[in-house]
Amino acid sequence: MSRLTDPRGHWDRLTRAERGVAGFVVALLALLFYGFVTGGFGPAYVLYLVGLVGMYVLLSFGLNVQWGYTGLINFSVAAFFGLGAYGTALLTADSSPIAGGFNPLVGLVVGLALAAVVAYVVGVPTLRLRADYLAIASLGLAEVIRALVLNERRWTNGSAGLRGIPGFFEGWPLLDRFPELMPGLRVVVVPGSPIVLQEPFWQAVLNVTLVFVFVAASYLVLRRVHRSPWGRVLRTIRADEDLAEALGKDTYAFKMQAFVLGSVIMALAGVFYAHLNLFVSPGDFEPINTFYVWIAVILGGSGSNRGAMFGGFVIIAIREGTRFLGALLPDALRFTLPGALSVLPDGLLAALAGALSLVESTYATVVGNFASTRLLAVGLLIILVMRYRPEGVLPPQRELIWTGVADDTTRADPDSGVREARGGGSDE
Amino acid sequence: MSVLEYVANGVIYSSIIVLASIGLSLVYSIAGFANFAHGDTMTVGAYAALVTFGLVGGLGSEILGLPLGFFAALVVGIAVAAVVAVVTHRLVYEPLDAGSIGLLITSIGVAFVYRSLIRLGFGADFTEFGIQVLRPIDWLLPYGVRVTLHDVAIVLTAGVLVAALHVLLQSTDLGRKMRATADNPDLARVSGIRTRRIKLWMWVIGAGLAGAGGVFLGLYNQISPRMGFDILLVVFAAVILGGIGSVYGAMLGAFLIGLVVRMTPLLSDVGIPIGIDYAKAIAFVIMVAVLLVRPNGIAGGTES
Repeated sequence: MSRLTDPRGHWDRLTRAERGVAGFVVALLALLFYGFVTGGFGPAYVLYLVGLVGMYVLLSFGLNVQWGYTGLINFSVAAFFGLGAYGTALLTADSSPIAGGFNPLVGLVVGLALAAVVAYVVGVPTLRLRADYLAIASLGLAEVIRALVLNERRWTNGSAGLRGIPGFFEGWPLLDRFPELMPGLRVVVVPGSPIVLQEPFWQAVLNVTLVFVFVAASYLVLRRVHRSPWGRVLRTIRADEDLAEALGKDTYAFKMQAFVLGSVIMALAGVFYAHLNLFVSPGDFEPINTFYVWIAVILGGSGSNRGAMFGGFVIIAIREGTRFLGALLPDALRFTLPGALSVLPDGLLAALAGALSLVESTYATVVGNFASTRLLAVGLLIILVMRYRPEGVLPPQRELIWTGVADDTTRADPDSGVREARGGGSDE
Repeated sequence: MSVLEYVANGVIYSSIIVLASIGLSLVYSIAGFANFAHGDTMTVGAYAALVTFGLVGGLGSEILGLPLGFFAALVVGIAVAAVVAVVTHRLVYEPLDAGSIGLLITSIGVAFVYRSLIRLGFGADFTEFGIQVLRPIDWLLPYGVRVTLHDVAIVLTAGVLVAALHVLLQSTDLGRKMRATADNPDLARVSGIRTRRIKLWMWVIGAGLAGAGGVFLGLYNQISPRMGFDILLVVFAAVILGGIGSVYGAMLGAFLIGLVVRMTPLLSDVGIPIGIDYAKAIAFVIMVAVLLVRPNGIAGGTES
């Protein structure tokens, strides 16, 4: 409760990284809010972005259970996400080649169950292997599932994807018709550009509420799990699997449970996405989606759910920020050499002009290719985080067990960004 | 298509996978991590060759249906891939204070940087070297084998490169030092081997061979920014099948996996409904099976 009764003192006790993160999140929300009130972004779009943040937070939670707690390298995040999305889409969408028309709640259950079963089947051969083998095998698994979804048109509609997915609350009493029942509001914050809140807005409000419920529920479950003896075993496995074995723990069973739990949370994100986007396609299985989530987790701090939430914001900032910048920045830069420079020798002038045209063409290329620029940003971010802050921005606080704790030769305890242990605080 | 033709196709494809898998195996045994940027190193080689070939052109005479300029481009492709890998090692991997898992994750970032830069420079579309496609070799046609001189060139060049590597590993000072470092880096260092320098050579050789593989893959199929990443899984399957870290095992594994991938159409010919779309999936299933039954691979993984 210290943040309510003594906000100033609470702020002073934060580490520098925590202040930076708080500042970043507040700035991002402020930017969204600014776009919202000035009409730069449609109100429904702002809420759509908030929904996507929630989706990435869920995915990061899932990966956190596997990588952050247990040290399992899972490169098939996109596959489990896609399984959740397709699981619900195949049961609820109009264009589903299998069933279609079921209540989204059925889709939710089936999507999660599908992911759990696949996770178990994949886990049986791979979880006994060394960590780097799991990385290779899981990337392979993701590609196999993508190939299946693309090619088995009878069941999945192939590359056309599935359309006509209903919203999550379709068929519910009251909530079903909530967006239509809500009045259209006209809010004037800035004179001259009123914001009109209509049906899409209320629909988006419902979606954000839904993802908030999902995130909150997962967070509470994971916090409980993290503090339990079960969670301690997981972290011991991450720190030193042989040690856990020596303590009599069946590490394979623990790893399997963590793998399935994480995959189910990822599928939950997929279910939400299907009912948010109302369209799913094999593109959702692209490996890049897996690595967005990896960035969120390692940047936020492996094993830290606060970090995962921060990571979710960063991913949206990268994904939508590059798009936004691309739309905002001019397509091309034009430089003209000032006339005063003509006193310089011709060779130098020619070199200058050459350099400027290189800058111009590079600029045009970078601005004209958001997808590639985004990929570049993702790659650089991975390298930079691993180099300069491998423990992440918000590493888990007051952790008793960390990687290398049982190993004298490699001191890998998080010595930066960790608060001094203080009584009464939260360890999340 | 006849069985013989599938086999011939498999051998050609295998030669490319062999070139790629050697480098992956070398990096694994000497640098100690699974390098996910290896496929994109192949792409770098292919694009470097594409640019060079565009600059120098055919250069007149031909060997095995390929203009001399292509071989010049091949050399440049190998060199550029090697230089890029060494620079990456110096800038990214060497300063990194991380274990094999940290390096593995970093290599994903490296792969993305390579691929995005290539996409920024060349666009995301498919291109080709623009060398005229040859007629299949006439005297093989009666046997039902449609192979062009280009395919023969791929197999022969790959064979030469692999033989050169074998001589290097077995008969030169550098080769002995590399094997020693792969076996036991600490022991190698106390014996006076400059393991840092060996690591650099390892990157030069591994990435150079990957670059050659990329150039041939571009000649065999097409060139695109994703070509390397798409084939990476097959290469991993080959390396694991052969026993990760063992160069000769990797060659054998690559040969087998290449054959299997290219002979997938046989399955539908005999009535099993698994199409060519699942060729890579089959490679993956073999990989998992090998990991389960013989985690050290078919070659045992003790030699290097």
